[in-house]
Amino acid sequence: MMREALGVVELLVFPGFLFLSWLALYFEWVDRKFYAKLQYRYGPLYTGPKGFLQPFADFVKLLAKEDIVPAAVDRFLFTLTPILMLALAFYALFYVPIVPMVRNVAFGAFEGDLILVIFVLTMVGFLKFLAGWGSTNRFSAVGAVRTAFQLLGYEIPLAVVLLTAGMGAGTLNISLIAQKVASNGILASALLPALAISIVCFQAELERIPFDIPEAEQEIVAGWLTEFSGRRLALFRFATDLELTLAAALTAALFLGGPYGPAIPLIPVQVSYFLWFMFKTTVIVMVLANIRALFARLRIDQMVHFSWRHLLIAAVAEAIFIQVLLAAGVIA
Amino acid sequence: MVLELLTSPPVIFFIAVIVSILIFLWGGMIAAKGEKTSGKLAPYACGEDFPPERFRVDVRRLFIYGLYFLIFDAFALIFALSFAKPGVFPIIFAVLALIAVIVMLPVKWYE
Repeated sequence: MMREALGVVELLVFPGFLFLSWLALYFEWVDRKFYAKLQYRYGPLYTGPKGFLQPFADFVKLLAKEDIVPAAVDRFLFTLTPILMLALAFYALFYVPIVPMVRNVAFGAFEGDLILVIFVLTMVGFLKFLAGWGSTNRFSAVGAVRTAFQLLGYEIPLAVVLLTAGMGAGTLNISLIAQKVASNGILASALLPALAISIVCFQAELERIPFDIPEAEQEIVAGWLTEFSGRRLALFRFATDLELTLAAALTAALFLGGPYGPAIPLIPVQVSYFLWFMFKTTVIVMVLANIRALFARLRIDQMVHFSWRHLLIAAVAEAIFIQVLLAAGVIA
Repeated sequence: MVLELLTSPPVIFFIAVIVSILIFLWGGMIAAKGEKTSGKLAPYACGEDFPPERFRVDVRRLFIYGLYFLIFDAFALIFALSFAKPGVFPIIFAVLALIAVIVMLPVKWYE
């Protein structure tokens, strides 16, 4: 009975919905604050210590704004897409090890959950297309088509590098991959190119500079998001924060060992999981923010060509490299 | 038993949808209720007169990329299922896919 009670707590509170929500808002704060520092700005400042509560305040403010549904939109898609996108972003995070509690793996972990998470990532991209398509607005239409092209560009390299980590570890269970990577230095260093590729792909998945082509605000207002306002926009924003969390947590788990790492003396194992997880993911979010500050926006054809001609070839080459190492018996 | 049920994929997804709907409904409860005017319900167009429209996707172009997508999705799936037997066959398969992308990409299909 104790285990069941702990399971419910793990699902709803820690590291379930409540903690994931906090984590998403925390990563948005890290992203904004670090991005601002790189541009010699202050970033969020007034709400809470160093503006820590600003993302939460923004979320509640947006939730409380008037929700306008334009007369011509597809009402079904207009309501379905924000809810489903938030649900999928929450859902995928239950398969990524954050702070393993009851079963010492991620809450929903099973053999093959990596493929499920890749599927969810594709579904999120497809929902963005549907949201723009259901808006019946020119700006949304252009944004939605760009989202679809971008999805075709980054999806395959991303899937290949994520699966490469699975190949190297000999399993498709994200938690077991993380354990294997954390305990095998050769595998972890052989996966470093895959880490770089996956960070670039996630930057495109999250539609951040230089891949913010689908919502390029100087050209097409807000792209596929143009018609959304009030609580629907708040849900999309929150889902994007959760996606950022998913990107950081998944990258950390597959290529850096996630919450698993050398035990820190004198503290319980769960606390060391928490500290390792926060350290690794915060560094990844900072790298993502750094890329955002360094580059200017690409054109959509440049983005698609870049990902098919360079990113995909690099991803397949990395996969071959890992297979050669496996065949040669270097990775035990 | 209860734990197995709780950690099964459909149950987690169901609870995630419920949580999302609750946040959505909470937003509806605290949201400001404004007056619906015809200007407010028109599509956003920066003051210009754009009628609402459904767009058409450029099928030819999307078809080409869709074809590549299919090839590599099949590649990724077979690759994913090869993990029990690493070595020669996944490498040959990956090299074939790599040759396909290097040879096929410069070809102009639709001009």
